[in-house]
Amino acid sequence: MSTLPADDAPAHQPSTDTASTHKVPDAGAYPPVLLAEKLSKQVTSGERSLNILHDLSLSVAAGESVAILGKSGAGKSTLLGLLAGLDTPSDGELTLFGQPLSRLDEDGRAALRAGRVGFVFQNFQLLPTLSALENVLLPLELSPRAGEDHVAAQWLERVGLGERTGHLPKQLSGGEQQRVAIARAFVTDPELVFADEPTGNLDPDTGAQIIDLLFTLNREAGTTLILVTHDHALARRCDRCLRLANGKLEPFEPVSANGGGNE
Amino acid sequence: MSDLNWRLAARSLRRDLRAADVRALFIALMLAVAASTMIAFFLDRLERGLERQAGQMLGGDLVLEQREPFSAELRSTLEQAGFVLSDQVELVSMISRGDRFQPASLKAVDDVYPHYGVSHVDIGNGTEQIASGPPVGEAWVDPRLAQLIEIELGDRVQVGQTELTISGIIEREADQSGGFGNFNPRLMLNTSDLEATGLVQPGSRIEFELLAAGPPAALEQVQGLLGELRRAGVDVRDVRVDRPQLGNALQRAESYLGLAGLAAVLLAGVAVAMSTRRYVERHLDTAALLRCFGASQYQLVMIFTLQLLGLALAASVIGALLGLVGQAVLLWLLTSFLPMTLPPPGIMPLWLGIFTALAVLVGFAGPTLLRIKQVSALKVLRRELDPLPPSAWLVVGVASIVFGGLLWLYSGSLPLALALLIGGAALLGVLWLVSSLLLSGLLKGVQRLSGKSEWSQAFRLGGRQLARRKQAGLGQLLAFSVTFFAMAMIVLVRGDLLTTWQDQMPDDTPNYFAINIQPSERDAFEDAVAPRVETQSTLYPMVRGRITGINGQTPRDAVPPDARGDNSLRRELNLTWQAEVPEGNQIVAGQWFTSAGESQGFMREVDATPISTNEITPISMEDGLAQRLGLGIGDELTFSVGGDTIATRIESLRSLNWDSFTPNFFIIFPPGVLESFGHSYITAFHLPDVEQGLIRQLVSDFPGVSLLNVDAILGQVREVLTQVTRAIELVLALVLLAGISVLYAALTASRPARAHESGLLRVFGAGTKMISRVQGAEYALLGFASGLMGAVLAELATAALYLYWLELTPRLHWGLWVMLPLGGALLIGIIGHVLSYSLRRQAPAASLGLLGEA
Repeated sequence: MSTLPADDAPAHQPSTDTASTHKVPDAGAYPPVLLAEKLSKQVTSGERSLNILHDLSLSVAAGESVAILGKSGAGKSTLLGLLAGLDTPSDGELTLFGQPLSRLDEDGRAALRAGRVGFVFQNFQLLPTLSALENVLLPLELSPRAGEDHVAAQWLERVGLGERTGHLPKQLSGGEQQRVAIARAFVTDPELVFADEPTGNLDPDTGAQIIDLLFTLNREAGTTLILVTHDHALARRCDRCLRLANGKLEPFEPVSANGGGNE
Repeated sequence: MSDLNWRLAARSLRRDLRAADVRALFIALMLAVAASTMIAFFLDRLERGLERQAGQMLGGDLVLEQREPFSAELRSTLEQAGFVLSDQVELVSMISRGDRFQPASLKAVDDVYPHYGVSHVDIGNGTEQIASGPPVGEAWVDPRLAQLIEIELGDRVQVGQTELTISGIIEREADQSGGFGNFNPRLMLNTSDLEATGLVQPGSRIEFELLAAGPPAALEQVQGLLGELRRAGVDVRDVRVDRPQLGNALQRAESYLGLAGLAAVLLAGVAVAMSTRRYVERHLDTAALLRCFGASQYQLVMIFTLQLLGLALAASVIGALLGLVGQAVLLWLLTSFLPMTLPPPGIMPLWLGIFTALAVLVGFAGPTLLRIKQVSALKVLRRELDPLPPSAWLVVGVASIVFGGLLWLYSGSLPLALALLIGGAALLGVLWLVSSLLLSGLLKGVQRLSGKSEWSQAFRLGGRQLARRKQAGLGQLLAFSVTFFAMAMIVLVRGDLLTTWQDQMPDDTPNYFAINIQPSERDAFEDAVAPRVETQSTLYPMVRGRITGINGQTPRDAVPPDARGDNSLRRELNLTWQAEVPEGNQIVAGQWFTSAGESQGFMREVDATPISTNEITPISMEDGLAQRLGLGIGDELTFSVGGDTIATRIESLRSLNWDSFTPNFFIIFPPGVLESFGHSYITAFHLPDVEQGLIRQLVSDFPGVSLLNVDAILGQVREVLTQVTRAIELVLALVLLAGISVLYAALTASRPARAHESGLLRVFGAGTKMISRVQGAEYALLGFASGLMGAVLAELATAALYLYWLELTPRLHWGLWVMLPLGGALLIGIIGHVLSYSLRRQAPAASLGLLGEA
């Protein structure tokens, strides 16, 4: 993998403006895929109420890849949950694919996700009782493209697991499991893919391969990618880097060194 | 979309079949269905078999009796309904041979006789089973008649105006409904010979009987007609209503089987609840992921419901097949008692079984399953984000309602179901509280163990583990308590049932009745019998009397229309007098006559004639008869006895045990009223086998006394009890099996947590021995506490059951209080120990990882 997506888009280095005014080439005329306005999230633990996110705004254009960095405990997972519509904000509005989520109920948000949002998780989240193929089929069957089973097999082929479709997750290595998860994320031809520390549970070599695969597929499919990580090297390959600190997102320039320092 | 749900459900079910909780769920449901269908199939067929047997004793499925021949119109109506008809005529007439005369009870039977069963007759080659009556021109007599007029096979006797050849000695008639009403010995002849006797004359006392045999549907069809006939004064005996009771014993056995079935269902329910909890926990991740990929709550519920439904259907089909096999085994155990031609098993029990499986699933798994719906998609990012477990009240509440419904369905009694349910709910509340206290107490006690020995260390650690998972421990404690309770109850009731049966039918149960002992023979008879028998009931005086008026009206007008044809109004009743309540009788209403004693004694001395007609005599009536005739305390009855009229008033109602094999009376007078009328005595005694010679002596010394041997009936009842006992043992085994399935399910449910703990212990350096001891100690503590709780529950529940359902006397079971806690500790200790064997063998990393795999 000599050509890295990050090299192709040097123009998309983080701007100083994290708000909705941010311009994305080729997509400026279109509404953003994801638009967060003044999101807040409070949780009450015991008697104290904790502000995890505060007045956070973000706009992500179609085809853009955004990395969100942050220390452990900064609320990265909380933010990802909010952005994907898995959780509801205490305050503010999130608009996904032009639909304000506050107007949708839990089922409405789920229906909005079906087939249009893909996920890659740190711990893979493959169902242990389903084979690789069946795991990939899962989101496909929940999407409008249900029944196109051959697509799932093609995606396994693309991630290099064409020979292992019948294997159960526990028969696969960590890297292979994450490949299955990536195939599963892209199988529905989603408009938006969320990746939560996709290399967090993998050794560096395997992690690098997985990242290459993820970015290649993302570029080929023209998918919007939101990546949550603490790995600077990984973040640098995205069009834009943001850092989550004190409940807000701020522009950030990852360290350029190989595998950089941990944020 | 539903297509998708099916596909997802089917796919995951196929994979899931390997999971322990799904297996436990499957086994529990299968056992519930097997138990309920087996028992339902069996009871269904037993019921129909008993009906057939009752039909045999009655002589047909429907028996009509009146004083005149039946109309052709009635016959054709019955035949059209699907009945096969048989005619019988009964009358009393003098028969003679040479110069010896003897009144005999004649029974004329046609060529159809008997509808069911066979007669035992000696026609010259020893006793044979014959399924017909005597041929034309011949007659069969009972041995007493043969002895009385000294006839042998081949002799001819004069019957009315004709002569018949004696061709058989009847040991036992196919239909045995005669009872003790016939003091005269039997002579059976063919109806074709009846006209030649010239005995059937207008005005003579003749009973015409129409015996009909047919399917239940036919009986159903003519119900309206039967009502009319009853109101017209015809005595109608319907096999389903007037079944001669084979005894309370069998009814109790049926209740017991029903109870055992319910216990098995309850146990399976507990197992289902336990394994569903684990199943749901295991699938929360799946649900969250599906939610993440855009599945709606409805879809989630559908996917998992379909999966469990598929499981339930598979389990119920296999369970029903097992039930079918099981009932065949039960029947096989009972073959010698049941008629061979039992109807094949019906389809109803199968539906009942499937319905039971679904009900158990909905009731015991439903609320827990709904938890899946509430899972948040966010759980994919944050593992700890599990939806709240359903409230214990909801789970227990729904399970109780469903189980109450099943109780209702199975017992057919809403009040019983409600009482059991409310009692059960209250008990469960108390149980929860007590077990919570018990567990804390026990755990505190264990922590005080200061010994340095390995075992006290094991108990301290095991207790601490239990304390750490207090909520889960409490759930298990409850589950085990209910399990032990159900198992103990089934064992207890079985034991008490068998003991009661043995008490009721001791070896010295009277096997002979002596009837028609004249007052002048009384002392001599008693002297002859008393030294040679083991037990003898009181000699009861017996006077024949007829009810001629009720509350100033004719009996026909005074009783409910359906009782107009009742035997007690159509025939003479056997009246007796007693100063004390006879043994085995219980006053259920009013008071036994007391104060009148003195004046009666006085009257007896002064005036031996019947008491003046304007005085009202108090009487005691059997409560069943009073109920049939619609009578109660204070109702006035007029009796016609030997041409005199006696005015009486009901002062007490008695219940009595008709299975007691001692003389029983519908109506008892106080002493001093009936003595002056012609009377005879009746008694019952047990004659040991070695003393059989006495019978010959009695027959020759007291030729007028009828001796009735009930050994055959006694033997039949004993045989029934033995076989039903065997059936009960089989059902008991099934219940115990269900109990073990609960243990399996419960241990499966707690496997991951225990794996984690033993993994930790191992990391800290505990050896296999130590871990196995700690686990054994934990299980033993749990088993001990649940055994104790189970004992409390079982004792309370059996007491209630005995009082209200089985009608036995409750008693304390001391053994239970020792056996259950110790046995529980041992059983759970051993089973848990064995089941967790593989866990102890695991490397710590693997068992620690088990938790994460979820």
